[in-house]
Amino acid sequence: MRSHLFHMLLFAGLLSAYFAVLLRDDKRERIRFGLLLWGGLVGGALALAFLMAP
Amino acid sequence: MTAADGNGGDRGVRRTLLSVFLGWLVPGFGHVMLGRVRRGVFFGVLLWASFGFGMAHDARLSLRDDKQPLLTGLQVVANLGMGPIDPIVRLFVYGEITYSMTAGDNAVQRVEKFRARERSPLSIYGTAYVWTAGLMNLLLLFDIWDIGRGRRGDA
Repeated sequence: MRSHLFHMLLFAGLLSAYFAVLLRDDKRERIRFGLLLWGGLVGGALALAFLMAP
Repeated sequence: MTAADGNGGDRGVRRTLLSVFLGWLVPGFGHVMLGRVRRGVFFGVLLWASFGFGMAHDARLSLRDDKQPLLTGLQVVANLGMGPIDPIVRLFVYGEITYSMTAGDNAVQRVEKFRARERSPLSIYGTAYVWTAGLMNLLLLFDIWDIGRGRRGDA
């Protein structure tokens, strides 16, 4: 699999799931934190990519 | 504190240390040892999947280079975070358990294998998954310690 986008989405998902379970104890908090982290990672990477090559 | 309490504390520390060691030996197993089965299974599946996915994508198994000792040394630490599976996969990839780019008789062949893997277009992805799996497991060892010492809740 050589898609940068696919790996970025998957890698962000992996990290988000890991840190959500590690750092939050409540199920709702985990989902909220995981989604927030995933969005931040993906959004941050896309924003950085746009700034570097607009 | 009574003598019995002291012994209980020692046993608790020993059990926690054993769990931390088992958590390094088999990622996810340390939590299971402390009764956190679901947490252990979750992290185990996540880490093993990341590691396996990385290896399937030609992950670079780092070798310590004397020209860049700090950076390559840290890469080796990240690799070793997954425990004994790291030397096992090195045996398959390099034909020997090795962590140095220059040491030993097979250095030239080893570097060739390392460079060939590095040239793979998939290697950057695979390396990220494998290093991350190792670093995540190292972080989990602190989680196991905290659980063992009663510093975390029941979740």
